[in-house]
Amino acid sequence: MSGQFRPSRRAMLKVGLAGAATVAAPAILRLSAEAQAGPIKIGMPLALTGALGSVGQQQKRGAELYAKLQNAKGGILGRPIELLIEDTAGNPANCVRKAQEMVERHNCRLFTGITLSSEALAIVPKLAEWDSIFISSDNGDGRLTAESFVPNFFRANISGPMGTRAVSLYLRTAKLEKFYALGLDYAWGHNSVQVFENEVKKSKKEFLGKVFAPTGTKDYSSYIAKIRQSGADAVFLVMQGDDNNAFLSQSRQYRLPEKVKLLTEIVDLASIRAVGDASLGLIGSSRYSFTYDHPLNNEFVELWKKEHNTVPDTFEGEQWQCMKVFEAGITKAGGIEAGKLRPGLEDIEIESVKGKVHIRKCDHQGVQQGFMVEVVKPAGFDTPIPQVIATFPGASTTPKCNTMTFED
Amino acid sequence: MSAALRPLLIVVVLVLALAPFGLPPFAMTLLTEALILGLFAMSLDLMFGYTRLVSFGHAAAYGLGAYASGWLLLHTGMPLLFAVFGAALLTGVVAIGIGWMCTLATGVSFSMLTLAFAQLLYAISFKWTSVTGGSDGLAGIPRTPGPFGFAALTSKIGFYYLVLACLVGAFLLCFALVRSPFGAVLRGIRENEAKTIALGYNTRLYKIAVVAVAYALGGLAGALYAPFAGFANTELLFWLLSGQVLIMVIVGGSGTLVGPILGAAFFMLMEHQLSSWTEAWALYFGLIFIAFVLFAPQGIWGLATGRLQMGRLRRASGP
Amino acid sequence: MSTVAFLLTQVVNALSQSALLFFLGVGLTLIFGLMRIVNFAHGALYMLGAFVGYSLSHWSGNFWIALVVAPVLVGLFGAAFEFTILRRLYRRDAPAFLMVTFGLALVVGEAVRLTWGSDALQVPAPPLLADVIFLLDEPFPLYRLFLVATGIVVAVAIWQFLERSRLGLLIRATSQNADMASALGVDVKRVRSSVFGIGCGLAALGGMLAAPLVTASNGMAATVIIDAFVIVIIGGMGSFLGSLIGALLVGFVQVFGNYYLPDLALAFMYLVMLAILMVRPGGLLGKEA
Repeated sequence: MSGQFRPSRRAMLKVGLAGAATVAAPAILRLSAEAQAGPIKIGMPLALTGALGSVGQQQKRGAELYAKLQNAKGGILGRPIELLIEDTAGNPANCVRKAQEMVERHNCRLFTGITLSSEALAIVPKLAEWDSIFISSDNGDGRLTAESFVPNFFRANISGPMGTRAVSLYLRTAKLEKFYALGLDYAWGHNSVQVFENEVKKSKKEFLGKVFAPTGTKDYSSYIAKIRQSGADAVFLVMQGDDNNAFLSQSRQYRLPEKVKLLTEIVDLASIRAVGDASLGLIGSSRYSFTYDHPLNNEFVELWKKEHNTVPDTFEGEQWQCMKVFEAGITKAGGIEAGKLRPGLEDIEIESVKGKVHIRKCDHQGVQQGFMVEVVKPAGFDTPIPQVIATFPGASTTPKCNTMTFED
Repeated sequence: MSAALRPLLIVVVLVLALAPFGLPPFAMTLLTEALILGLFAMSLDLMFGYTRLVSFGHAAAYGLGAYASGWLLLHTGMPLLFAVFGAALLTGVVAIGIGWMCTLATGVSFSMLTLAFAQLLYAISFKWTSVTGGSDGLAGIPRTPGPFGFAALTSKIGFYYLVLACLVGAFLLCFALVRSPFGAVLRGIRENEAKTIALGYNTRLYKIAVVAVAYALGGLAGALYAPFAGFANTELLFWLLSGQVLIMVIVGGSGTLVGPILGAAFFMLMEHQLSSWTEAWALYFGLIFIAFVLFAPQGIWGLATGRLQMGRLRRASGP
Repeated sequence: MSTVAFLLTQVVNALSQSALLFFLGVGLTLIFGLMRIVNFAHGALYMLGAFVGYSLSHWSGNFWIALVVAPVLVGLFGAAFEFTILRRLYRRDAPAFLMVTFGLALVVGEAVRLTWGSDALQVPAPPLLADVIFLLDEPFPLYRLFLVATGIVVAVAIWQFLERSRLGLLIRATSQNADMASALGVDVKRVRSSVFGIGCGLAALGGMLAAPLVTASNGMAATVIIDAFVIVIIGGMGSFLGSLIGALLVGFVQVFGNYYLPDLALAFMYLVMLAILMVRPGGLLGKEA
């Protein structure tokens, strides 16, 4: 009976293979021609859904507005910008697969926006094989410019250790003496708390202790009790997303901020909106805030308001700056091939929404100002906003090359 | 599996073996990953489909295999082949312990115990930073050639053949297993464990054995995934993956070995394609599963073989 | 902080967390007891409760209205799902239910994201409960005391409902033996719809009540479903009292464990579950071995 199937099966197989071959061959020809003149493809495997969907969506909006406005001006080098945006749901396995598709199917050689550090760390070792450049717009993990550094990786954003450093520089002059730290129990939390501990000890102030909570913790009462009992003047937080929101809401319910000053490594609008007044009085470093008073930033905020009818959030600004770094690098290199673009990006200096950004050659970190903000509620605002209370020059907030440590 | 399907499977294997000559690079990437997941899902089918041991923690096997082979490749310079099979073996050995404890319970309690072990491994992968890399995981896992400079399996296509060989080998092993007297006892446990015990079988030993084999093969899949993707990380041990592989088995058709392989490929390709068409992919994905339960109770394999059966009937009754 | 004050506040904390866990677990266990379904969508419905509660309290400007209406709406949704989909599957085996509820979880999760967006949303505690009281000079949020009280009220109400009401009697009879109950003239179909609805409504109540502590967010569903499984399995699948004990056990272990051994925070729940199942494979009050 099965004999009747054989001819048709074999025929189908032949057709299938031949079909695949005809699809494949012209695609390769087309792609190599495209590489010189076609659109500039920038791949963005983003966590658009899932627990960190909020961050991925910000990165998407930031890049999209840039591409829209820049394409209206004729793109870069006369070539239009094409964003390849895909959802990874925050899963590194999806991220690797999507990125691989961008390389192998769409001949994409530029990447940005990979949302989670775990995703970025999985992608980075493949950049050489893919002959691709990846400019980070949000990855905070200090390792990416230290132990895990690869030549095709660049970081336009402020990293975790840089944010922590800004907080500790601010503390040197503040009237706070005794500190405790609460971090999320993963690489970013541990790295940043370590940097903070070192910095506090260096400034001859007291570091009383630290504790780490696993991501997804819903009840922070035990941690709040620990902080309260430590007798600290201030607690340094390395938290984000749902955990950050839960902690801030609950600490306010416990009246913790009345006794202990809350310092944080990262302040963003999404969290402030999610917890409302529970964020008031929070002091922390900011990767980007719409309240920076800089001509380019004011212009960007106006553009953003026109498009979205609201102000840009942290990663919208960071992504915008990252796109500007791409633009400057590609223009200088005169192309997007990794071999040309890498030297093009090295040592480049641009004026951006956060002021000067210098991509240093040694570890490809974007040297830029550090900002400290305080969450306040000025008259006329329904929700609290971050207000800049101090800025530090990039030279003082950026770690030594290929490390997570600071001099002095 | 009826005898009529055997030639069909041989043809499928031949097509898969020829695939690298016709498919573009990314299609090969997808195919390789689909086969790895297929192996993973098939390994669960031994427990789930043939013995009715519903594991909610099969990610433990995958993750353990991936971390073990990743660690061996990163830190010992061991050749790819040895690392992969060593990791599978290790997973099987660990599974004897897990199986021994989980089989103290039956039914949903068994499922929950497997989940508990998987989540404990997840916690360990997070905390044992010196070995697992903590939340960063292991990255840049190489495909080390050897022994004696044997490098054929380290290229993209070579690796595909390694995966294909592992899948075919594992399939033949499972196929032989479920048709052996051992498999008959497993089915006895599935249908009526009390009766099987009454017949004089120590069913617990059989269950531990099947858990060990299933975990070893699941570990083999994970051990292949680490050098395929170049990384191993905590997500590979997370309960979500355990839930997904369960769905792969059901959607493919449990108790058929081939079905779960198709289910895994379907799951992965569907998620990949849907998510590139729309951000709301999870919505459609969910609706597809609900539709499958309602309209294709036997899964993909049931649909496929049902169609074959029907075609044959039609032809038989035709002019 | 004195030791006594510390212990007192931690005990009340543990009770408040147990209450939230109980709302999740009791719904799951009722559904399992009656229909032998492991409801994978339970976490998604918990999340749906929080978001529906957010919208209702936003529109009405009243937390209390939202607290009552959100669980009812989600409960009705659950009953409708049972009525349209699950009802067709009772002759089928467990895998069908695993997959259909897995599908429901995906659909509900994505529907929430499409409706309310990716950003977390604030659901403030009602003004009446926003304050603190002092337990031995330590400030303690009133809202957490309210959670403890609600947990007690709901537990007693469910218990009385199961013991005293006609529907409760039918539920118990059907859980024992659905065929027998059906033969005795019980409308098993209606009992099932009701229980699935009630279970989903309880999950939504949990989500709504948790929202002032954790905000309403897309990540809510993934983290609670496993907690719910663990509670139910510790207590014994299908046992009402078991889910209460399971919730208390997990609540206390987490609150005190996070304090004394924070390094093991990820593992506590599972260690407790393993220890219990090793000794009693069916759970504390479970019938099946």
